[in-house]
Amino acid sequence: MIPTQWFLILSAILFTIGVCGVLTRKNGITIFMSIELMVNAVNLTFLAYARQFHQLHGLIFVFFVMAIAAAEAAVGLAIFISLFHHRETIDVDEANLMRW
Amino acid sequence: MITYAVFFFFAAIAVIFALVVILHRNPVVGALSLVASFFALAVMYVLLEAPFLAALQVIVYAGAIMVLFLFVIMLLNLQRQPEEPTRPIQQFLGYVGSSAFGIGLVYYLSKYAVMELPSGPFLADARAIGVKLFEVYIFPFEAVSILLLAAIVGALVLSGRGVQTS
Repeated sequence: MIPTQWFLILSAILFTIGVCGVLTRKNGITIFMSIELMVNAVNLTFLAYARQFHQLHGLIFVFFVMAIAAAEAAVGLAIFISLFHHRETIDVDEANLMRW
Repeated sequence: MITYAVFFFFAAIAVIFALVVILHRNPVVGALSLVASFFALAVMYVLLEAPFLAALQVIVYAGAIMVLFLFVIMLLNLQRQPEEPTRPIQQFLGYVGSSAFGIGLVYYLSKYAVMELPSGPFLADARAIGVKLFEVYIFPFEAVSILLLAAIVGALVLSGRGVQTS
């Protein structure tokens, strides 16, 4: 049996990679993929703690997170398609209509 | 012993392909690397005794969501546009800040997160999850179905070209 700690460390590394991608990239789709990476890291943490405490709640939460990530991906990608039709780019710095 | 080998092999695959996602210029390569990373994470779910969620990970994430990403990338034809790099100060702060965050997190976890696994089998098959889902979590389940419906309508409205807004 692999200790829970190792899964938590792997999850922390994946989450950090996702944070780094969100902070340093400008391509909207890549930022979105980094967010998916962070969501998956959190899912791994949920499952690690579910096995640690013998609780099914963690697994159910992963189920809900997957459903909400699907909804988020659909709406977010539709927003990017709409942005591309208006601005001919998906560079997030170009979407500055509501910038102060 | 073989379990440890499988864990380290697929953990390395997950981390390496995640790095490819954020470092590669071409978004198509990034999306395919993300699929590989999700498959490695599905192996992690199997190691965590959650085979049902591993199947969901492969079907929903690697199957549906990433196909949606690839479809949008191909539709927008993004390879033609080279991505400009972000400002150097943003690059510097992003890498330094996130690596400091990651190192702190890993240090904390490796020092304080030592836990004893409880004995006894952990029953987490599809049947147990289904019973729990339809007994305790029936209201959130229905709420998620309404949320998915709202997402479908929102995606259709946002991406439709027929809407005339002047």
